[in-house]
Amino acid sequence: MHLEDLTIKSFHDGLKNKEFKVLEVVQGFFERIKKEDGKIHSLLTLLESDAAARAEDVDAKIASGEEIGAMAGVPMVIKDNILINGFRATASSRILENYVSSYDATVINKLKKNDTIFLGKTNLDEFAMGASTENSAYGVTRNPHDLERVAGGSSGGSAAAIAANFALGGLGSDTGGSIRQPAAFCGVVGMKPTYGRTSRFGVMAMASSLDQIGPFAKTVEDTEIIFNSIQGKDPFDATSVDVEYSPENDPKKIKELKIGIPKEFFVDGMSAEVKNGIDESVAKLKSLGFKFKDISLPHTKYALSTYYIVVPAEVSANMARFDGIRYDRIKNLGKSGDKERSALWDIYFKNRGERFGAEVRRRILLGTFVLSAGYYDAYYAKAQKVRRLIQNDFKEAFKEVDVILTPVTPTTAFKIGEKADDPLAMYLSDIFTISLNLAGLPGISIPVKKYKIGGGELPVNFQLIGKHFREADIFGVGKVYENN
Amino acid sequence: MLSKKDLEKLAQLARMDLKSAEEEKLLKDLGKILDYFEELKEVDTENVEPLTGGTELQNALRDDDGDLVLDKGAALEAFPEKSGGFLKVPPVF
Repeated sequence: MHLEDLTIKSFHDGLKNKEFKVLEVVQGFFERIKKEDGKIHSLLTLLESDAAARAEDVDAKIASGEEIGAMAGVPMVIKDNILINGFRATASSRILENYVSSYDATVINKLKKNDTIFLGKTNLDEFAMGASTENSAYGVTRNPHDLERVAGGSSGGSAAAIAANFALGGLGSDTGGSIRQPAAFCGVVGMKPTYGRTSRFGVMAMASSLDQIGPFAKTVEDTEIIFNSIQGKDPFDATSVDVEYSPENDPKKIKELKIGIPKEFFVDGMSAEVKNGIDESVAKLKSLGFKFKDISLPHTKYALSTYYIVVPAEVSANMARFDGIRYDRIKNLGKSGDKERSALWDIYFKNRGERFGAEVRRRILLGTFVLSAGYYDAYYAKAQKVRRLIQNDFKEAFKEVDVILTPVTPTTAFKIGEKADDPLAMYLSDIFTISLNLAGLPGISIPVKKYKIGGGELPVNFQLIGKHFREADIFGVGKVYENN
Repeated sequence: MLSKKDLEKLAQLARMDLKSAEEEKLLKDLGKILDYFEELKEVDTENVEPLTGGTELQNALRDDDGDLVLDKGAALEAFPEKSGGFLKVPPVF
């Protein structure tokens, strides 16, 4: 058994045929992590003894002849803004340095019921705000394909861990591309479900009207297995929706799906590597018999502005709970000397000023600005209307096609530090992923081909966008693509 | 364009101290971002209904049956200060 070759599917078959034990595989992954994560820094916390105990439980079930599910014993890594009861959850922020979760997120609860195993918590941009994991208070995650480059973000730790073969699957959160973009930079599969498909309960809110939890894995098939085990309505998330999911596995039916190519996504500024990769994926799908159609999403150009108004507005509200009273408090604060301020205000101002990183503070200020008296209509109200137009574009396009294919990122993984000082340049790296979140649509990021670590090539992924709650379509096309 | 005074007002509203060394960079960055947003002015949004959230659901209700059981000890443990089983907060007046 080679950990590099294992998928969730082949791991499950191996367990059933008693080729290996869960505990051996789990220990194998921890050995790899300890040997290699020093240079990548994908994991913030290891759950070694808990994982071993849970592995032994699954092994005992198998030994006693009990039937096991597709996710039983599967070693996963979890983004550190998702709560696992009894373990640290920092969201890569200083303000939660010592925070220990006192309950499970619903997605974790579902995985636990499936006997899934958690190896560790992965690095992210602080509170998921960023596109490179450089905004983590605990250091950057490096791209396993080139250690001088970023792994992407904000779920860079989960993507890098899968690329480096530290686990078989991962969870991330995606507000504007935070699963799909790091998946592209690291050459793994990452997927954002339809808004409402997965519960957000127990996940630290960034922008509540856009956040969704989704899976990472090495193959589309594995990604769908994880997705299917975490999705579903949850009474604790009032925005979650009860829509049954059934995978589509018939290649003949899948090939009847018509794929749209939006001209607005093929603009100046896309690198040659990405363009060639996208051309290659389109050519392959055509040779497999898929029909394509040119479409238009005319408001695409305005998605970035719309997103960076809506998101900071929601951020400024969601970050209000980190007030220095709950979660963490600077000891021996002292008085500011400002007579206008009460002792309580001193606590707020100092804790929030010192413990939040630069990007979080920038978004809080921007959000406060766009919501403030005199500017609300020009910015926030306007952005909400443009958001409607962006959603309408997709509704029109989906009358003509079933799936839309686009690039995930304008370039391959950029160098560490390259965009760190220029927030606008960093925001532009999200340009192909954010419109899905604004419209609430599902999307999947799939490697154009297999990228081997040390192969000297930086990965390129393509993105498939589906209709609301039609994840089965994008998984279907993805499976046909990877099986041929 | 944001002025230094505007920035201080925003920081006040957000209950957040700014370091004087970062103010200039913040003003520059926020200025660039706000300039970028200017492009939205050219979009005709007359008679467009705002999209206010991610869902079309209305009145999502559930029974208040309290089936989430929190471990009180762990929840208390996660709080920065406690005393005799209670959460302790600093004096606020």
